[in-house]
Amino acid sequence: MEYAWTSRLRAFADRMGGLFGRRKRDSEFDEEMQGHLQLLADHFVEQGMSRKEAGAAARRQFGNTTRLKEERRELRTLVAVEDFGRDLSYALRSLGRSRAFAAVAVATLGLGIGASTAIFSVIDNVLLEPFPYKDAKRMVFPRIHDAARGEEGDRQGYTSNEYLEFAAQNQVFDGMTAASEVLVLYKHGEGVEMLDGADVTPGTFEFFGMPALYGRALQPTDYQAGAPSVFVFRYKTWMERFNGDRNLVNTTFVLNGTTRTLVGIMPPRFSWYGADVYLPKTPVAAAATASAGLPANWFVLGRLKPGISRAQAAADLTVIANRLAKISPRDFPIHFQMSVRALGDTVVGRFESTLYTILAAVGLLLLIGCANVANLMLARATSREQEFALRAVLGAGRARLMRVLLAESLVLAIGGAAVGVLVAWGGLKLIVAAMPQDFIPSESVIELNGPVLGFALVVAVLTALISGLAPALQAGRRDLNDPVRDSGKGVIGGRRSGRMRDAFVVIEVAVSLTLLIGAGLLMRSFVALREVQLGLQADHVLQTVLPLPEDRYQTAAQVRRFFEPLLARVKALPGVVEAAQSSSLPPDGGMDSTLEISGKAHDEQWHALLQQVSEGYFRVLRIPLQSGRTFSEAEINDARKVVVVNEKFVSTYLRGTEPIGQRVKLSALETLADPVQDPWFEIIGVVPDVANQGLQGQIAPEAWVPYTVSGSGAQALLVRSQQTPMALMDEVRHAVTATDPGVALAFPIALETRISQRLYAGPRFAFLLMTIFGGLGLILVTVGVYSVLAYATARKTHEIGIRMALGAGRGEVLRLVIRTGLRLVMAGIAVGLIASLLLGRIMEPELSRGVKSYDPATLVGMTLLLAVVGVLACWIPARKAARVDPMVALRYE
Amino acid sequence: MAAKKSEVLQGTLDLMILKTLHALGPQHGFGIARRIEQISRDVLQLNEGTVYTSLMRLLQQRWIAAEWGTSENNRRAKFYSITASGEKQLAVETENWERISDVVGRVLRVKEER
Repeated sequence: MEYAWTSRLRAFADRMGGLFGRRKRDSEFDEEMQGHLQLLADHFVEQGMSRKEAGAAARRQFGNTTRLKEERRELRTLVAVEDFGRDLSYALRSLGRSRAFAAVAVATLGLGIGASTAIFSVIDNVLLEPFPYKDAKRMVFPRIHDAARGEEGDRQGYTSNEYLEFAAQNQVFDGMTAASEVLVLYKHGEGVEMLDGADVTPGTFEFFGMPALYGRALQPTDYQAGAPSVFVFRYKTWMERFNGDRNLVNTTFVLNGTTRTLVGIMPPRFSWYGADVYLPKTPVAAAATASAGLPANWFVLGRLKPGISRAQAAADLTVIANRLAKISPRDFPIHFQMSVRALGDTVVGRFESTLYTILAAVGLLLLIGCANVANLMLARATSREQEFALRAVLGAGRARLMRVLLAESLVLAIGGAAVGVLVAWGGLKLIVAAMPQDFIPSESVIELNGPVLGFALVVAVLTALISGLAPALQAGRRDLNDPVRDSGKGVIGGRRSGRMRDAFVVIEVAVSLTLLIGAGLLMRSFVALREVQLGLQADHVLQTVLPLPEDRYQTAAQVRRFFEPLLARVKALPGVVEAAQSSSLPPDGGMDSTLEISGKAHDEQWHALLQQVSEGYFRVLRIPLQSGRTFSEAEINDARKVVVVNEKFVSTYLRGTEPIGQRVKLSALETLADPVQDPWFEIIGVVPDVANQGLQGQIAPEAWVPYTVSGSGAQALLVRSQQTPMALMDEVRHAVTATDPGVALAFPIALETRISQRLYAGPRFAFLLMTIFGGLGLILVTVGVYSVLAYATARKTHEIGIRMALGAGRGEVLRLVIRTGLRLVMAGIAVGLIASLLLGRIMEPELSRGVKSYDPATLVGMTLLLAVVGVLACWIPARKAARVDPMVALRYE
Repeated sequence: MAAKKSEVLQGTLDLMILKTLHALGPQHGFGIARRIEQISRDVLQLNEGTVYTSLMRLLQQRWIAAEWGTSENNRRAKFYSITASGEKQLAVETENWERISDVVGRVLRVKEER
């Protein structure tokens, strides 16, 4: 009878059901058969047989009951599933006998799966999908690129007027918002606390499309003239500083001297601009200045209309900017174009390439892991050729042999997968802890990525299965008698799979060397970074920002009335060597200013970083003097228009001229809330270059002027002490409170600590992870080389016995085995060196200045390290081989 | 070739059992075996046990149903009966069988004529 597929399906369903309740059915069938036999015997008795004869005849006619049961079983259940259960338990037992093998395979798979999943999860959450905002992919921010300068010369802050013009005239955005940083002093019963605030333009919360968690977000009415003063909290700030108290909604806070009502708390992932509090602010074209009396500085975000490319947007904005530049040429470079960047570029920047480098490393690690597992499986399967041949001779089909191997591979793969999930989970926690917070968007939540975990699992499981099955396929093709007769002795055995194993070792060693060299380069780079000459002595210096309440500190005189007594108090503290005011903290060099030099004509715009300081500044940081002199106390007190410049300033703008006595116009000072009239300054001194654009950045021309020339600008305090700087904290705080109880210390920290935190964090993270991966890779390779060699040597025990019986010395045997292994290691090293040199270019952006991707010390060092480890991995099995007793070896079966 | 022969045989037994249940109504395994023996004693050498394999196959296809009842000698026995879909299948298969045996018969006659 022909059964259609539907009936097959019915049979299958029935069979699935047959996997259960087997015992009951079997006993029922027994009963049925017994009944039949009984009836048949009765039937024969009726025909005249004796009862005894009838019983025998009935059984004869009924046929073989055992065979019948077997047939029924095959019909009824899915035999393969039942058999597979047996295969699995067999696999478990057989792996239990070789625990070391199983442990190494499982650990290797687990590490590969876990590490790659963890890293890719980070990348996905930080780089690919960090933002919870609606249509975040279309959000971009515009920058003005000065054709005469590098990217560090780009401007991304806009005046209120510029923002309004862009918003009104552009044809490429379907929404725009702007935010401006503002330090917020929050006054409460016990004193003053500082919060990071953001002034946000009307429509900001509609732009991001996120409603508040509690209460409400800012809405259009909050921006109307005469509307009550309100603000909203970021979730994290509310949780950490205010214990997540929901009753705070609709209560009032005194922020920067204004009483404001808290109207809402944003959800956890809303943290636009990294601010603690969001304040409504309507940009007004006429208002030139903002926080701390500095020029208004809106960070603008636009959402591209669907279908508009970034290039189109940049072109459109350039047209508008050109119009604006005609009206106020001073605010724009002479030759410029607009560019737009993706929202993600706001924070990640350089860290992006770090993460991708690490991803590449982890991919290599996974590759080593898979090669290792394949190798182990091959070696194991080859050593069991005899077992399989025997099974085949005894009648096991090829499918059956494959099933046994498949079951073992599956057990290993599942074990590896379980370990992998654990490693991914734990690894991710470690990575998140080690990750430099400033480099990732504060919106991103780093968690395990399901699809990635799935992918890594599939890759690893396939590796285990394929490498486990390859030998079974080979075994199936072979002449069954060969391995049985061969009984695993001699030198010829397993030539084919031997070559495959050798190839795997070479690949492993090569990949491992590439990883090690990568890690080595990052290490060199990190060390080089620490040795970078800052041009100042950061040790024993306490720094703190002092945001002055803007309602009471606007003019130079007001600011001076605060700092003069404060500096006197601090200097009088025991252990304090020197103290100074400064408008920015090293290694950042203040605001950008265009400049003119008397008697020097130039076509392009000239720029310098501009910093306002008190007379002790250069002494606090131990910046030496190159020529001329620094500020005198009198010059500071009289707000004399004198300026100290750095060497770069002189070599850029005053080459071949005596700098002292030259007159410089610092145009930015005119644009402050407390402007400096006619800002021409006389150069009185030159100091050597000091890092002023971060540790890695090029040093820019810089100018220092007395802080007393303007009341605008950020205010910070630097104190050099004899003891650990943090020990001074309390006394400095008291001095500040004694001077003005309404002023809070913001970010008080040892300068050295800050530099290391903020500037080394990224490179240290990369270096740390690369070192871990490099180390893991090295361990895996050691295991790989060792296992292959140990296996090969064990197979050759017989041959070694013969050699020794024929007079070979132990040393010769040792050399023979080591030579075999080292040949592979050396081949791997050669391949790895070539790969490293080719791949080195990828590393280039990760490296500090002065470290080349072909850094000879690193190449030689890592090659030696790997060679030593390789020799070690060869030496252990070699020594074992050399200890072989020839008599035992010859008898060895 | 060998596989095909057994297939035909197996199918044949299934068909005979269906026909038996169709003609006689509910029967236990013993009754079915007796009926087939009656009709084909000299032709088919049958292990009666194979009837049960066949019954199982038919059950899986839901062409027959089974129910416990009491046999002639007052023992518990399973009674099999043909279902509606079994009747349909029987009609299809009977027609099929007649066509095939007709074709086979003609082929064999052709061979003889040569």
